[in-house]
Amino acid sequence: MAVNFEKLVLDLVTPLVIHPEDLLVKKFSEDENSITIQVLVNQEDLGRVIGKGGKIANAIRTIAYAAASKQGKKIKIDIDSFE
Amino acid sequence: MKKIQFEAKALNDQTLAYAAQELRVNKDFIELNIIEEKKSLLGLNKSYVVEAVVDFNVINDGIEYLKKILENMDIEAVIEGKLTGENHILFSIQAKENPILIGKNGKTLEAMQSLVKNYINLYTDEYYVVLIDIGGYKEQRKKQLEILATKTAMDVVKTKVSTKLGKMNAYERRVIHTKLSDWRDVTTVSEGEEPNRYVVISPSKK
Repeated sequence: MAVNFEKLVLDLVTPLVIHPEDLLVKKFSEDENSITIQVLVNQEDLGRVIGKGGKIANAIRTIAYAAASKQGKKIKIDIDSFE
Repeated sequence: MKKIQFEAKALNDQTLAYAAQELRVNKDFIELNIIEEKKSLLGLNKSYVVEAVVDFNVINDGIEYLKKILENMDIEAVIEGKLTGENHILFSIQAKENPILIGKNGKTLEAMQSLVKNYINLYTDEYYVVLIDIGGYKEQRKKQLEILATKTAMDVVKTKVSTKLGKMNAYERRVIHTKLSDWRDVTTVSEGEEPNRYVVISPSKK
């Protein structure tokens, strides 16, 4: 079974946000070797999802990276907020 | 448990949104209870005293969070959680694909641990220390580190030359410091900047 990266990231991030209605996780592009996932959150939640010194964002990336490595892919996760 | 009390005109989505804003958590984890109904003199305006409680169990919700991560990674695993002391939680994971979950030098394990710790501490007002162990990795790593510490310390005593160990995370450095804390012949210091901090073992000055 292929790993659903959007769902993985969504499940990781959802409990961290105050505004789940503003949370958007979208696969941006995918090819043989790599996947790009875009995460958009409410401005107020951005700090929580990124964490101190990017700690949380990097933890999310590390886990997604591990999941992707099973399929021999690289994964890139961009986190940003709505203006 | 995190909770607040406030007055509201009605119980609806806005009330919930307000509670979420005040408690600073996802509204799906909030339970609203009416404590008291208030009526104005003519009985025209009703309002409620509402209590908003964060419905959260550190062990069960912690396990649920981990379970979801692993399911999404398509990894079959058994997860157990228990309190190992005051505000200390240990989650043990036993999976078919332990190496993927542990990662290089335990990197993935650390990532999972900091996410779960962050998650649990967002939803409780007490502070919890969260540890995750996968297939006994931490226990084994601790033993290896203790052997490394002892061997290196013996060399340092013999040669009287300080020795740098490889880069380690906070937990691993602590294992080394603790192991050598009762050695009188050597002193240990952590040097360098995260994430490249390392332990230096030096001979004690007489």
